[in-house]
Amino acid sequence: MIPVEYNTAVVLLGTAALGLAAGSTGSLALLRGRALLSDALAHATLPGICLAFLLTGSRSHPALLLGALATGALGVVLVAALSRRGRIKEDAAIGAVLACFFGAGIALSGAIQRRSPDAAQAGLDGFLLGQPAGMLLSEALTIAGVAVATLLLVALLAKEWKLVCFDPDFAAIEGWPVRLLDLLLMLLITTTVVLALPAVGVVLAAAILIIPATAARLWVDRLVPMLILASSFGVLASVTGTLLSARFPALPTGPLIVLAAGSLFLISLLVSPRRGIVARATAERRRRRERERRRLLGTIFTEQEAAPESPVSEGALARRRVWGPGRLRAHLEDARRRGWIRWGPRGIELTDAGRQRAARIVRASRIWEQYLLSQAQIDRDLIDLDAEEIGHLLPPHLVAELERSLADRGLLPLGSEGSPA
Amino acid sequence: MSGAPPPAIEVHDLTVSYHAKPVLWDIDVEIPAGQLVGVVGPNGAGKSTLLRAILGLVRPASGWVRIDGEPRRRGRHGCGYVPQRESVDWDFPVDVLDVVLMGTYGNLGWFRRPGRRERERAMHALEQVGMQDLARRQIAELSGGQQQRVFLARALAQDAPVYLMDEPFSGVDAATEAAIFEVLRTLRAAGRTVVVVHHDLQTVEEYFDHVLLLNLRLVAAGPIRDTFTRENLLATYGGRLTLLDEAAEAVRRGSVDTTAWRPPPDGAS
Repeated sequence: MIPVEYNTAVVLLGTAALGLAAGSTGSLALLRGRALLSDALAHATLPGICLAFLLTGSRSHPALLLGALATGALGVVLVAALSRRGRIKEDAAIGAVLACFFGAGIALSGAIQRRSPDAAQAGLDGFLLGQPAGMLLSEALTIAGVAVATLLLVALLAKEWKLVCFDPDFAAIEGWPVRLLDLLLMLLITTTVVLALPAVGVVLAAAILIIPATAARLWVDRLVPMLILASSFGVLASVTGTLLSARFPALPTGPLIVLAAGSLFLISLLVSPRRGIVARATAERRRRRERERRRLLGTIFTEQEAAPESPVSEGALARRRVWGPGRLRAHLEDARRRGWIRWGPRGIELTDAGRQRAARIVRASRIWEQYLLSQAQIDRDLIDLDAEEIGHLLPPHLVAELERSLADRGLLPLGSEGSPA
Repeated sequence: MSGAPPPAIEVHDLTVSYHAKPVLWDIDVEIPAGQLVGVVGPNGAGKSTLLRAILGLVRPASGWVRIDGEPRRRGRHGCGYVPQRESVDWDFPVDVLDVVLMGTYGNLGWFRRPGRRERERAMHALEQVGMQDLARRQIAELSGGQQQRVFLARALAQDAPVYLMDEPFSGVDAATEAAIFEVLRTLRAAGRTVVVVHHDLQTVEEYFDHVLLLNLRLVAAGPIRDTFTRENLLATYGGRLTLLDEAAEAVRRGSVDTTAWRPPPDGAS
């Protein structure tokens, strides 16, 4: 254990609990398409905080957070009303509400600042970017309590929310109260955002919901693992940010927490095994190389087909201008190593294995070409130009028909008929 | 009560409109139980809207719907539903079995999780569509035809008396088309009613017993033999020439192949 002061320990408890709740809530928000809305919600809390301060004159958290809850919820209701009745696109409604409410909040806090500079310095500024350093034990325990309640609720309703997030129409047909479940989810999001305000502030509150959830999605493909991982990322980011801020007091805690979450996201984006940038690029490179191999075999096959007596020379392939001379040489060498071609006395020859594969490739590509040329209704979804076997993609009678019209014009590759599937 | 059993679905006076534009106009139709029913019509004819209105997903301007002689139950044991494939996000973090299990949630009720019984039901549904080996596959990795079969398996897990399917044959490979048709026949053999929005006129006579010809209004409804006629298709498709030729072709082929509708022999695909 790293020795920490009492104050830091309290803040750690509060922010870690916050990260725990925000990860799970954020995952559901993300899957229901509410990420942007939760950002608008966070910004819409600022006027509520200011109004609560003006009305009560108190700097206590409960009063200010109640104010935050009120205008935050008002902002969400407004977005819903605008995008439903007013025929405004939801993103436009979110943008408008976010800016107007935040603007109103900034104006109000400016007015407060002029009237009583001390109060503003002490209380309200903290809500803009978060100021968890002064967190009381009671506040930290409240956050922890709400976090536990959040996790219990998510565990209880995971099945119902999964259904509503994936296919709300199906949920409605099965008799689930979709609007009630949506409302509950929105309440959960609102509570989490409001709870996050003292720690990370109005501007960054939504980030601790969205970023850990997005990062977790990159690693796992099922809902419950995603909830667990997102919450873990939330805790990790909170603890890292808080400890860094304790070590370097000049750096504010809230932004450090968000930056820690951002770093986790960046790492995930790079190295996650299936969705990461590195993994995707590798797979794409492999696919492209495979395509080049097929193209080379197909080209050699058609050259040979055009002039069966004369051997295929490297020069003839180069004249196709598909590959530069260096590339072509490398591809040929690769094909030779794989046992598809050999250098004969008079040029390039396909081996038996190479000829079989080449015939399959050419046959598939000509059938697709014939399909595109001859069919009135083309089903784009069915076409897979990488597939060497098409028997399972097109109906057998259609394949037979396409083959016949190819054979009539002498375009059906010899030796491809009995090719293994 | 005595007499004939109630129709599987009864639609009365149904009008659906978005603002002043009607999408469905005064639909009045009874769909008999235990049959395979095709809903056919040009693009924008309101085929999907009819299904969604029967399911209660759109609020009609007027009219009502009854299922098995009773007002539609909002709850369990209502209708099985196969939506259009594009209606959900296939990048959602669930696997094939998770999606099929959703068909059992209605019987489970609040808070309870799917157990062994639900898992068996879902696996059985997956076997019926030939997808049991892909149960643990992430849904984003499926082909279009496989996604369609997952939706069909989810509907089978619902175990409903009435099924409504929105274009299940669109954009699927040959193997999937055969598998879906096989499932439809199994459902009919079990006495279920299946209503299918269908776009391919060529296969209507092969697949269905009963047909609804729809173009904003109901042009005709009835057994294939009496209803899927040249005049009715002309009335449904109007002056859309290419489609018209296709329709004529379908009718011509039909008159050669089948004088009366017969189920194709077993094992045919």
